[in-house]
Amino acid sequence: MLKMENVSKIYRTNLIETHALRKVDLHIGAGEFVSVTGPSGSGKTTFLNLAGLLETFEEGDFYLDGQNVKGLNDNQLSELRNEKIGFIFQSFNLLPELPLFDNVDVPLRYRGFNAKERKERIENALEIVGLSSRMQHLPTQLSGGQQQRVAIARAIAGQPKFLLADEPTGNLDSLMAQQVMELLEKINQQGTTIIMVTHDDQLARRAHRNIQIFDGQVSDLALDQTDVLIKAG
Amino acid sequence: MFAYNAKLAFKSLNDRPSLTVLMVAAIAVGLGLFMTMLTLGHQSGKIPIPHISKQIHLIQLDNREVTADDAENFTDMVDLTYQDANNLLNMDIAGAEQALTWNTYGILNVEEQDIQPQRSSVVATNHAFFNMFEVPFLYGKGWDSDADQLGQAVIVLTKDSNDYLFGGINSVGQQVRLNTQVLTVIGVLDDWFLARKFYDRSYSQARPDQALIPSNFAFNNDLPRNARFDCWSTTTNPRKFTTNYLTELKTSECAWITFWAKLPNNTKDDYQAQLGQYIESQKNLGRFPRENQYFLTNINDQLSIIGSMGGRQQMLGMISYMFFAVCLINAVSILLAKFMRRTKEVSLRRALGAKKRTILQQHLIEVIFIGVIGGLFGIAFTYLGLQAMLRVSLYASDYTQTAADLMPYHRMDWEMVMMAFSVSVGCTLLVGLYPIWRICNVSPASQLKAQ
Repeated sequence: MLKMENVSKIYRTNLIETHALRKVDLHIGAGEFVSVTGPSGSGKTTFLNLAGLLETFEEGDFYLDGQNVKGLNDNQLSELRNEKIGFIFQSFNLLPELPLFDNVDVPLRYRGFNAKERKERIENALEIVGLSSRMQHLPTQLSGGQQQRVAIARAIAGQPKFLLADEPTGNLDSLMAQQVMELLEKINQQGTTIIMVTHDDQLARRAHRNIQIFDGQVSDLALDQTDVLIKAG
Repeated sequence: MFAYNAKLAFKSLNDRPSLTVLMVAAIAVGLGLFMTMLTLGHQSGKIPIPHISKQIHLIQLDNREVTADDAENFTDMVDLTYQDANNLLNMDIAGAEQALTWNTYGILNVEEQDIQPQRSSVVATNHAFFNMFEVPFLYGKGWDSDADQLGQAVIVLTKDSNDYLFGGINSVGQQVRLNTQVLTVIGVLDDWFLARKFYDRSYSQARPDQALIPSNFAFNNDLPRNARFDCWSTTTNPRKFTTNYLTELKTSECAWITFWAKLPNNTKDDYQAQLGQYIESQKNLGRFPRENQYFLTNINDQLSIIGSMGGRQQMLGMISYMFFAVCLINAVSILLAKFMRRTKEVSLRRALGAKKRTILQQHLIEVIFIGVIGGLFGIAFTYLGLQAMLRVSLYASDYTQTAADLMPYHRMDWEMVMMAFSVSVGCTLLVGLYPIWRICNVSPASQLKAQ
């Protein structure tokens, strides 16, 4: 489903060469809920950007849903991103001047759906996150948790195979974080693969599998091993 | 997708409307000044009777003394003497129409009517003038060659004169008085707009003279000659020929008559050959001491040589171009700032699947919107600018010209309106390319991480 073989990412400036990811070998199957943890600056976000086709990589091969994305041009990457991947960000990244309906509409527009289909998908997505009654509200009229639910609605409206979540609860209090997490689990149960970067070990433990990144190197741990590490640590 | 991008572009204009207003104002003011000067240049650079202007030639023969300076072009050359003008008219050169013109003046009056007599500028010419210059008639027609020969007392009025003297009615057959002479009106001109009043070599923006009469009538009645006399072989002051000494003038070597020939295709060489033969024949009579030299200059070449714009207009033109450039630089700075404020949104849209070309289209539409709105306001500013320049021109002419005279040179035609739109959209697009390029190259991952 998502397969990386010897993938490396290097950031270069005139003076410095930074290995953000080193020879990552990873396979994430369909329907998995994977958490990604690691200290700040370890390469979590870089990993998520590569997985989300937001950045290119120098070495290795990356198969997304069976397709090798290496060498795809910008248009092809955009199409693939739009069709197969939904993004959830820590800071929600909603467009503040647009009502919820139009925010959820954004990726569907680029997908080329007609108005009727877009409307159905938007209403359905907002229904799933429990905000169908607030379609015409602006994001600023919502709480943080509600805004993140809108972002989730936007991510799932196109029914992607992957959801990539970058610290989705990082800006929320524990109650809101709990609600969002439950929502993600519900979406995962319906078959969507979720990769979630988090600093929160409690949340990480709720995933099927935890990937830890240290200094650009990936350790693929089973959940019980993670438990051991946490307890030891 | 186009409709969606257009909607986003329109929405963006409403976002921070003060910036949009600033951009549009910068473009509109710059364009207004630019188009004002461009329109003035465009209108004053127009060629009169353009479809035949290349066939109509000013004829000049060099009868000057041997020591005279060489002439580079028609502006350095003298016109024709009375005897040469008449000799050429009598040569009847196949395929060529020939007309002479000189200016006189007098008091036009209609006895029976209670109107103020009018001091008028009058063209003395021959019958070929009307056909050659395709003069439009409202009533009647020009005179014929018999009237030329006999110097008949006939007159053709311009529309303005007819309006003044006869209240605009068909005055053909009526009589008018020019000084003490009574003339019969045989024709009234319709509105006759010449981009440049070339036929008297003034190339001015004034409207045609008030009336036209046969040259021989003017000579027979010794009407004043309003001309520059380039004389040689005479020790007397040439200015005396203005009102007197006609007999002496007719045989003198004073050049003062403007002479025109319409030379359709393939007749110019024959005409030139005949001019050469004529000069040779006159050399036998002791005239034309210099080498065989003559000038045939068509209207286009005349205007090209004298330049279509005056120095003042050229200077203002240069200033307006620079001002427009400064305004565009201002606009593009604001545009760049406005676009770069939007990097986070663009980054998000790219992450959600927008292709570069979609972002490009959205911002191109926005820039075109700004260009079109700037163009609309720019046209309004151009109108105001032209009105202001009209007043400047009236002042510069010491109010010897009327607003009606100058209006055609201070008016935007459709060509200039289209030009204004093209310049506005084109220049805005051109300077907008850099901000668009910058925004299109925003990486989808660059702005999404929480700050």
